[in-house]
Amino acid sequence: MVLKLYARKFVSGGTAIVALVLAEKQIPFELIEIDLPTNQNKTPEHLVRHPFGQIPCIDDDGFVLYESRAICRYLCDKYPDQGTQGLYPTGLKERALVEQGASVELTDFIPYVLQVFRELYLKPSHGQQTDQAVVDQALAELYKKLDVYEVILGKTKYLAGDEFTLADLFHLLAAPRLADLGVDIWSERGPNVQRWWKDISTRPAWLKLRAEGVTETTTTN
Amino acid sequence: MVLKLYAGTIASGGSGIVALVLAEKQIPFELVLTDLATGEHKTPEFLAMHPFGQIPVIDDDGFVLYEGRAICRYLAEKYSDQGTPLYPKGLKERALVEQAISVESANFWPPVIQIAREVIGKPMRGLDKDQSIIDAGIVDLTAKLDVYEVILGKTKYLAGDEFTLADLIHLMAAHRLADGGVDIMSTYPGPNVHRFPTCVSSWWNDISTRPAWVKLRAEGIKGII
Repeated sequence: MVLKLYARKFVSGGTAIVALVLAEKQIPFELIEIDLPTNQNKTPEHLVRHPFGQIPCIDDDGFVLYESRAICRYLCDKYPDQGTQGLYPTGLKERALVEQGASVELTDFIPYVLQVFRELYLKPSHGQQTDQAVVDQALAELYKKLDVYEVILGKTKYLAGDEFTLADLFHLLAAPRLADLGVDIWSERGPNVQRWWKDISTRPAWLKLRAEGVTETTTTN
Repeated sequence: MVLKLYAGTIASGGSGIVALVLAEKQIPFELVLTDLATGEHKTPEFLAMHPFGQIPVIDDDGFVLYEGRAICRYLAEKYSDQGTPLYPKGLKERALVEQAISVESANFWPPVIQIAREVIGKPMRGLDKDQSIIDAGIVDLTAKLDVYEVILGKTKYLAGDEFTLADLIHLMAAHRLADGGVDIMSTYPGPNVHRFPTCVSSWWNDISTRPAWVKLRAEGIKGII
C-alpha cells in the first residue's frame, strides 16, 4: 500500500522536510490533509497516530511514525538506492558527521529561529504583543552561531562534508518561515554561509515544493 | 589508541549522556579534563576540534566528533555488540528510537531547560529565580508528560519494551530539576488520580536508578582504561 503522509499542503516546518525527502528520493505517497485551524490534529483518530497531536505523521503500510527528523532518517534508510544519494550515509564515521551537523541544527540554529518566529508570528496571532528585545537577542545569538557555520563551511562544501545530507536539509524546516515573515537572516552573513544557504534553498525539488505545495504522487515521477 | 573524552567531571548535560553510554557499553576511555572556568574550551586548539567551543568532544583514534547526541549514536553503533544494547539495527525499531529521541528535543528539553535555568543556573550565578518562568515551565512540562503517560502506558520504555538511547538522552538535564527543588519527574501525578505511581514516574525512577548512572552521579566522570 502506498505511503500515507498526514500533513498539509503548505510547505513549512516538519512537513517541508519530509515532503522534500519524499521528492528527492522519488518515493510515491498519498497526502491526507490535516486541517489545523479546525483542529483536525486533535481528533481522537489523529491522536492515536500522533499522541502529541502534531503533523507530519506517516503511515507506511501500517507502520506509523511521527517527528519529521525521524521520518526523514527512516525514509533515507528504507530507500538508500533510489533518488538523491548520500542524504544519510551508512558508513560509521560519515553518518556520525551527519548526526553531528543535525545536532548542531537542533541546538545552535533552530532554538533562535523559533524564538523569533514565536515573537513575530505566533504571539501576534494569539493577540499577544511582540517583545522586540527577545527578537533582537535571539538574532544576535543566531548570528554568533552562523559565524561558526562560516568557519565550518570554509572547510567543507556542506555541513557534514562535501555532499548534501540531512544535516543541511533539516535547516529548511524553520529558516524559510523567517523569510516568509520578511526577516532576512542571510544576506549579511559571511560568504561561505551565503553560498551554502543559496545552494540548499535553490535545489530544484525544494523550489518546486515551495511553488506547488505538497502534492501527492502515486507513481514515481 | 584509547578514545579520549574532553569533558568535565560532572555527569550532566551532553557529557553525562556520553559518559553513561561509555559505561553502559564498557568502552575504555581517557578523560581529558576540560576546565570551562578557565576557558579551556575556547583555546584555538580546542576550537579546532569543536568550532562552537563546547564540551563534550571525543577523539576516537583521530576521528573527532562533537554534540553529545551524535557521540552517543556513534558509540552505540560502533560498539553495538558489547554491553547494553541501546540502538537497534532493524529499520522500524531504529525509527521508533529516532522518533523518541526527536520527541525529547522537541517536547521535553525546552520546558526542562527553562526550569533548570531558573532553579540551577541563576542561583549558581547569584541571581534571583523568576517564579513565573518556573511556573510556566512546569505547566508546559506537565502537559508533555501527560502524553508521555499515554506512550508509557503502552510500552515499558519510550521506543518499545527495551531501554534505548531514547530513554538515556532524557538524563541530560531533567535530573537537575530535583537538585533545584522541582522534583516533577518522580512526583508527576498524571491526569488520572487513581493511577499511582504513574507510568512516567515509574519509568523515570527506573532509568534514574540504573547502576551505571547512579555510579556516575555519585563519583563523577572518570576515565576507564
